[in-house]
Amino acid sequence: MRMFDPHIHMTSRTTIDYEAMASAGIVALVEPSFWLGQPRTHVGTFEDYFASLLGWERFRASQFGIRHFCTLSVNPKEANNPQVAEGVIALLPRYLPKDGVVAVGEIGYDDLTPEEEKYFAVQLELAQRFDLPVLVHTPHRDKKRGTERSLALIREIGFPEERALIDHNTEETLPLVLNTGCWAGHSIYPHTKMDEARMVALVKRYGSDRILINSAADWGVSDPLKVPKTVALMRDSGIAVHDIEKIVWHNPVAFFGQSGQLDVADLEERRAIDQSQLWEGNSVLRGQTPVVERAAPA
Amino acid sequence: MDERTLDAVLGHTPSPTLRLLVDLVTRRIGSRDRAWLEGALAIQPADLAECFTVAARRVGKRALDLTSDEVAAIEALGVTSPLGGWGLDELARVTLLVSAGGRLSPSELEELVEGCYRGGDNRERQAVLRALPLLPNSDRLLAVGVEACRTSVEPIFEAIACENPYPAAHFPDLNFNQLVLKALFIGVALDRIVGLDERRTPELARMAADYASERRAAGRPVPADIGRVLT
Repeated sequence: MRMFDPHIHMTSRTTIDYEAMASAGIVALVEPSFWLGQPRTHVGTFEDYFASLLGWERFRASQFGIRHFCTLSVNPKEANNPQVAEGVIALLPRYLPKDGVVAVGEIGYDDLTPEEEKYFAVQLELAQRFDLPVLVHTPHRDKKRGTERSLALIREIGFPEERALIDHNTEETLPLVLNTGCWAGHSIYPHTKMDEARMVALVKRYGSDRILINSAADWGVSDPLKVPKTVALMRDSGIAVHDIEKIVWHNPVAFFGQSGQLDVADLEERRAIDQSQLWEGNSVLRGQTPVVERAAPA
Repeated sequence: MDERTLDAVLGHTPSPTLRLLVDLVTRRIGSRDRAWLEGALAIQPADLAECFTVAARRVGKRALDLTSDEVAAIEALGVTSPLGGWGLDELARVTLLVSAGGRLSPSELEELVEGCYRGGDNRERQAVLRALPLLPNSDRLLAVGVEACRTSVEPIFEAIACENPYPAAHFPDLNFNQLVLKALFIGVALDRIVGLDERRTPELARMAADYASERRAAGRPVPADIGRVLT
């Protein structure tokens, strides 16, 4: 089954992860810009980070037959440093219109501070200006209140709900999101957030409309194969293949397709791997023989 | 370092707290490093940040192993931070910051403390956070304390959240509540948060109750000590 991981931080992962993801059936992914584990203190650091998401990381993914898209933003945590946040907001209009940027995100609340709310609102407006959907992070702490306030802010600003994906849902937040027109993401994690068995129970209860799953794998304890692993458990638990395909393919394609940046026909055709390519003179290889496929069947 | 030496080094009479801190460090280092400490206590403000970093290489990182007399002397001064868990490097760094606090203007001190935190490694950041409650005009340093709660590095979080009277004394409710929720979230015992009982509010109880509900809905255990903030 072809799969889409709509939230994964590949800059924190290795080529072995790309290989395993490709062989498990992942053919496309979205890498949201996020925080790197400790705060950045210069606007220029973000400029280089955005450039690497748009350049080197996309090339790396392509070397394993995976299409890489990204979302850009000031993330909620770093929105608490107004000096940096202002500078990055000023950068975004130069980066949001670039090829392969499929949403503004991650944005939202973390500690639920006034600064977070300010830059959440500013970026909802930027998304409208650049005709992009938004990927909304929900907080680890005070999650239900954070989700309620996110939905309220989206409504207050008049941002179209069908263009907002609310991420990291739990048993308590999913019904809140489904009561609106927003889409609902679920991060399947080894310990926190959501796990495979709980996800199966949610799909049995709520169905597959507007529901997405992702690995949210990053530099922490996380697993880039959580999408295929959840697919396996959904299948073993008797969830219809039609619903599974909707959750791991048609829904992410439909949601991020609203950016105008996904060519569905192109996505559905498996891209031949050519590891003999270089990017700005660089290769991902370390002395191996490059894998070069001819146009391969799907 | 005897009293007269210290007064001469500093060029003024230090606060009783600074005198005690210097004494605690001095007893634990050799004569070469005592000479370094004397120099560091009197150094130009521009070179303070470098001294702050170098301190760990000079004095080492061993545990303080305070004697009962020392603990009594600390308590007698009304210093509420238990120093027991600190390393000698942290004590030396806190001493340098407290010394700077006695001779820099509030804005110079703010710049120094923020610089030591921003440019600090994990260990240096811990020392900055432990120094906060001992510094003058420390309400001006709130941003450093709040920022530290956003860390993913547990020892840094513990340095501000645990055995530290600063958050209860200075954090606004929003930030204090987030600190408590983060402690529950990562499994830091609430007993370690100084002044928690005085900062309990209906909003904190609501947040804790929501967290317990979220854990139960996920089929996961609820932290055993959450009852301390549920009402």
